[in-house]
Amino acid sequence: MRCNPSLLKIYVILLLCGILPGGIIGNDHVKAESVSFPHDPATFQPGAGSSIASGYCTMCHSAEYVYMQPPHNRDQWAEIVDKMRHSFGCPIPDEHVSQLVDYLVSQNSLQFPAFSNRANMGSSSRKSEGGNPNDGRKLYSVHCVNCHGSGGKGDGPIGQALLPPPADLTAAGNKSDEELLKTIQKGRPGTAMPSWEHDLSAQDIDDLLAYLRVLSRQE
Amino acid sequence: MQRIGAFAQQLPEGNAVGILSNKNKTLPSLNDSGLTRRHFLRSSLVLAGLALLGGRLTWAEESSLVDLPFERGRRPLIAFPQKRPLMVMTTRPPQLETPFHIFNDHLLTPNDAFFVRWHLANIPTHVDINTFTLHIRGRVQRHLSFSMEELKRDFEQVELTAVCQCAGNSRGFFDPRVPGGQWGNGAMGNATWTGVRLRDLLQRAGLEANAVQVRFNGLDSPVASGTPDFRKSLDIEDALRKQVIVAYAMNGERLPLLNGYPLRLIVPGWYATYWIKMLNDIEVLSAVDEEFWMKRAYRLPADPCGCVEPGERPTSTIPLSRMTVRSFITNLQTGASIASNHPITVKGIAFDQGYGIDRVFVSVDGGQQWQSAKIGKDYGDFSFRPWEFRFIPVAGRTYQLQSFAVNRIGEAQRWHARWNPSGYLRNVVETLTLKAM
Repeated sequence: MRCNPSLLKIYVILLLCGILPGGIIGNDHVKAESVSFPHDPATFQPGAGSSIASGYCTMCHSAEYVYMQPPHNRDQWAEIVDKMRHSFGCPIPDEHVSQLVDYLVSQNSLQFPAFSNRANMGSSSRKSEGGNPNDGRKLYSVHCVNCHGSGGKGDGPIGQALLPPPADLTAAGNKSDEELLKTIQKGRPGTAMPSWEHDLSAQDIDDLLAYLRVLSRQE
Repeated sequence: MQRIGAFAQQLPEGNAVGILSNKNKTLPSLNDSGLTRRHFLRSSLVLAGLALLGGRLTWAEESSLVDLPFERGRRPLIAFPQKRPLMVMTTRPPQLETPFHIFNDHLLTPNDAFFVRWHLANIPTHVDINTFTLHIRGRVQRHLSFSMEELKRDFEQVELTAVCQCAGNSRGFFDPRVPGGQWGNGAMGNATWTGVRLRDLLQRAGLEANAVQVRFNGLDSPVASGTPDFRKSLDIEDALRKQVIVAYAMNGERLPLLNGYPLRLIVPGWYATYWIKMLNDIEVLSAVDEEFWMKRAYRLPADPCGCVEPGERPTSTIPLSRMTVRSFITNLQTGASIASNHPITVKGIAFDQGYGIDRVFVSVDGGQQWQSAKIGKDYGDFSFRPWEFRFIPVAGRTYQLQSFAVNRIGEAQRWHARWNPSGYLRNVVETLTLKAM
């Protein structure tokens, strides 16, 4: 094929200027695209039922999904919860449904907590004050067991349905206190692990940490 | 005037898709000159001191907040990967709204400002173009798979400009309010898409005689095993429209990951729910798709209006598909003051389902009198169409500005907002109140 040199020159100039789409599209300079998403800031406001919301709703979506909603009455929230359970497969047990709906109604007039609390969420490098593993075990059996499993292996009844799977806590021995505290307090971005800092007190979190150390030693 | 024939009419096989091959076609400028609305936006910004969280990419130290004009409409402006700061409706999965001044600044919405809406939180954060494969399977004579290189090499490249609008765009303005994503008017964007025709791919695979629909799936997946994967289907005749393309570029660049890198289905004229992102699977079906996202979600009252009386439930529903006619004033914001005694230019955009905008009318007195706006450059039937209107405000007067668009088959905006329980199809004439000083 013959090529007109002056046309070629123009083509190259246009290509370099990014004017010709073929110049960009034809040669992918980047062969892969890699990003990481911002940390999920969402936490539910403390209140009766907030730990149900933290434990189940934030598996699949951030709390903003609730706080952006206009006020809904109890029937509307009940319908939404029903949709989440039966259309989207959220494993909320029957006995928690009523309390969750009440909680959602109670949040109708509240502003998304991130706007008021986000400023407090930065300084997370808190040292553990020493926790009680027995108290931690009780908390674990309420808040953590469904995902992480009774033995901590990440194989709880809900955990088996999650992707990515929950962390195997028996392998947490090589994690520092600070790392584990941060994960409990802030959650893990891009996963079903929610932030617990508004549902659990500092002492609760220390107790949980103490119990995690028991779990990871049992291995 | 209200001919909403959006559900029955076939699109004309117009000349909307331009062929790129061997044509040194330049993309339109990404920067249309014009007034910016930043000074309006700024007045509604609230600075908030927000501390850094852990992780590499986190919320900015100081984040601006935007207040959409409805209850619980406060949104932080945050930069996600490959994005400028956008209005965050939700973080996980990401739903980001384009600040409205962008539509005044650019007729082609810049990639880094383009809205984002995902349904499922498991979104790959890494896609390797060397191993990525698009599969075609189901009721076809040959199951095929294509690498990105093969797609670009073996098929004709085509390009068109089309509006991508979320089905729930403007849902926050429904009265009474409805559940769902509470978008303002910024869950839309206009881009030039480059790729290959879906029908060329389907013809290569060979449709079987009993093919009824084509289902599309992307790389995103549910968190909980009981959540239906997000897949959408088109009837065969819609899938074979020549404007439907599998796009690998947006405004001449790779798609941002959040907009569906490396491939996105482009269904011009139809709501974005069908524009499957990270498209990697095309499945030809011999029966109508009965999955959740087709049979239960994204459905309209089965009525030419697509509406019911507020608070009522439709007795039967059909899948949502084509977009309604809309227009917006982009360079002015309600409540603003304008200078008097010399001409002011009102700028705006209009779009429809792909027949193309025929006329835009403007009223400055709340709809009593209407005058034609000057229609601007034609970027294609599926694109935003720019328009302008000039008038001389008189000091002390209050103006109620409205725009009203009509497409080439006589479909128009609605004078009164329609209502449906999912908050779809909003296209009511919007009113801005301005005071001449």
